[in-house]
Amino acid sequence: MTKDEIKQRVEKVTARVLKVDPKEIKPGSNFAFDLGADSMQSVELIAGFEEEFNIEMEEDKAREVQTVGEAVEFISGYVK
Amino acid sequence: MDQTAPKSVRDLEYVFYPRSVAVLGANRVVGTVPHDIFANILKDKFQGVVFPVSPKERSIAGVKAYKYVVDIPDPVDLAILVFPSTVCHLAMEQCGEKGVKAAIIISAGFREIGPVGLKREEQIREIARKHGISFIGPNCLGVINTDPLSHLNASFARQMPAEGSIGFLSQSGALCTAVLDYAQAKQIGFSKFVSFGNKANISDIDLMMYLKDDPKTKVILVYLEEITDGPAFMQAARSIIRETGKPILVLKSGRTQEGAAAAASHTGSLAGSDDVCDAALRQSGVIRCSTIEEMFNIAIALAYQPLPKGKRVAIITNAGGPGVLTTDAVIKEKLEMAKFSDETRDIFKKTLPATANIKNPVDVIGDARADRYKVALSSALGDDNVDGALVILTPQSMTDIDTIAEEISTVARQFEKPTYTSFMGESEVASGIQILQRRQIPHYILPESMCKAFAGSYFFRRQMERPEESVPAFADVKKDQAAAVIGKAVKEGRNYLPEAEAVPVLAAYGLPILRSGIAASREEAVRLAAKIGFPVVMKVISGDIIHKFDVKGVVLNVSSETDAGAAWDSIHANVHKARPEAKISGIYVQKMVPGGLEVILGLKRDPSFGPVIMFGLGGIFVEIFRDVSFRVAPVPPSEVREMIRDIKAHGMLTGARGRKPRDIAGIEQCIHRLSQLAVDQPEISELDINPLIVQDEGGGCFVADARILLSTAKEN
Repeated sequence: MTKDEIKQRVEKVTARVLKVDPKEIKPGSNFAFDLGADSMQSVELIAGFEEEFNIEMEEDKAREVQTVGEAVEFISGYVK
Repeated sequence: MDQTAPKSVRDLEYVFYPRSVAVLGANRVVGTVPHDIFANILKDKFQGVVFPVSPKERSIAGVKAYKYVVDIPDPVDLAILVFPSTVCHLAMEQCGEKGVKAAIIISAGFREIGPVGLKREEQIREIARKHGISFIGPNCLGVINTDPLSHLNASFARQMPAEGSIGFLSQSGALCTAVLDYAQAKQIGFSKFVSFGNKANISDIDLMMYLKDDPKTKVILVYLEEITDGPAFMQAARSIIRETGKPILVLKSGRTQEGAAAAASHTGSLAGSDDVCDAALRQSGVIRCSTIEEMFNIAIALAYQPLPKGKRVAIITNAGGPGVLTTDAVIKEKLEMAKFSDETRDIFKKTLPATANIKNPVDVIGDARADRYKVALSSALGDDNVDGALVILTPQSMTDIDTIAEEISTVARQFEKPTYTSFMGESEVASGIQILQRRQIPHYILPESMCKAFAGSYFFRRQMERPEESVPAFADVKKDQAAAVIGKAVKEGRNYLPEAEAVPVLAAYGLPILRSGIAASREEAVRLAAKIGFPVVMKVISGDIIHKFDVKGVVLNVSSETDAGAAWDSIHANVHKARPEAKISGIYVQKMVPGGLEVILGLKRDPSFGPVIMFGLGGIFVEIFRDVSFRVAPVPPSEVREMIRDIKAHGMLTGARGRKPRDIAGIEQCIHRLSQLAVDQPEISELDINPLIVQDEGGGCFVADARILLSTAKEN
């Protein structure tokens, strides 16, 4: 899977879970600070990414991911 | 506001009286902290302007929301951060960019969760410092200001308390909500109400100093889990009490003895951190309370009523039993039952029924109505021999409870003396209690609580009257000489000074030591003993042994040369048996003082409060009797006198059972000198003078044994 494809799918999940306009989502967007994710939604995001990419992420490390761009990089490590 | 106060104190004006507030991280989900804080500010009618800042909401509760604080077109005085802790630093950075003056960080997930959180806290503190933003928190419930000028409920408490004159500061957020509920039930109002959490920037001391100058606050209540800077806390408390007459009540948790178990000296094992804290707070004039209830019981007495000028109490009751119970409580609290003047007794005789008890407690009899309470209370308060009144009521069929409550309130206000009440019962007296609470007459369910409150108020009165004192500085002290002995041990990597080295340190500070010397051989010991003059005491010298008695390393009453030789032999034999590995470096031979009372003087360096002086009944059983008192050095003269009076065995010093009084002036002198030593020589971590032998009045005191531990001491 290409980075671009991962990015698109990350943005799609983010917009759905956080109920934000996809246009608002930038690589540098911080899930909590810029997109308003609360702690529950952060958990939902992790679950959403796992389902979308059919992967199982290391939860502690996944929680450290702050921005959309970081999420793309992090998920790339799991996706073949 | 005092413009010379530190910035962290001055900036509290922006916390309590902001012209505009932004809630960063607000949302629309009712029942969550980010929503409820914003909602509380709106609901409780904040007098300034409030802006929600929400990354994805266009509005919250009908108020236009901004995506970022920098998007707000108007200036923002106060930012309230409710974002997750992981992004608070981003919010704080934007606050700096926006020119926000102060902040409250509600979010948890900082120091309290461990190293990761601590790093976050340090990061946010650095950003705030860079932008000059003072902040409360993180990890707190928020701030409430009931002053109508601001009327800010920047907290997620369920309710805004009534306006009042009590300022409440708490390290625990959860306790705040419980306190608010408790206070509401008792109709107690607050001036300012602050949960200060991790105190990463604005501290408990800053808040106390703000309340010092707050005209709306008459009494300051503080709940603490730790006192970080003991001396600064003490200094702040003293300045508030002295300069403004505002009482400070502290509820401090953690009444534990941690650290004491590892101590190597008597003082170390006796001076647990809570004992020291207790002494330090008392020394600062602070009233320490054990429970929330006790704190508010005393607080309402201080907030609502004049301070008692003395401790003479009049009890007025309509029932004998409760009168006796209250009398017991008066005595237990070391108050006095007032003796009425003849004039007062005449009034009682003329106005009360013949069966009424006109002595103290005044029993107005079970059928008393408001008129009897009125005459009894006004006559008692009008008596110069009375400093305050305790009024008790039990509900009987003819008792006009509400009228009596009204009458007591009216009479109490006519005197510059306190009146406290106890309407005993619950449902029958409820309406009367409400009248008393509304009219700010302190009410207590139990007479014991009422007496405790009176004692607390009287304690505070004495603190206010206590003059500013200077601590004596002895010119004959040879500070360098003592430092040289200590320095030598430090250089040699030793952290224990046995008696032979401790004595010169004490001598340098003018403490009364006895003639003594060190013998390296049996012959030398015999010669030395004869030279000093019999009787002598002989003691083992060993860097490996701190408690010499425990290894039978001490022989008392050595009265001849033959005895001296035998003592040498027995000490060596005993020590070798008890501690074969101990290296004996000689025998300490010391003049023995016959008779005298054995007391202990000690010093311990507390991590929070610094050097602490201990005084008590001495001897080898000090840990068993625990009859000791503590003060933080330097100890002023009145505190020295008081710490001597504090011990239970004080009567043994003043001349119990026909004995002559002991030399208390000599003890005072020793405590002052030890206090100076404690301040001058920071390497000393623990020190025991045990015993200090106290002769009869005028006969002096003598250091009969001493040991010193230096700062890294961990032996035994």
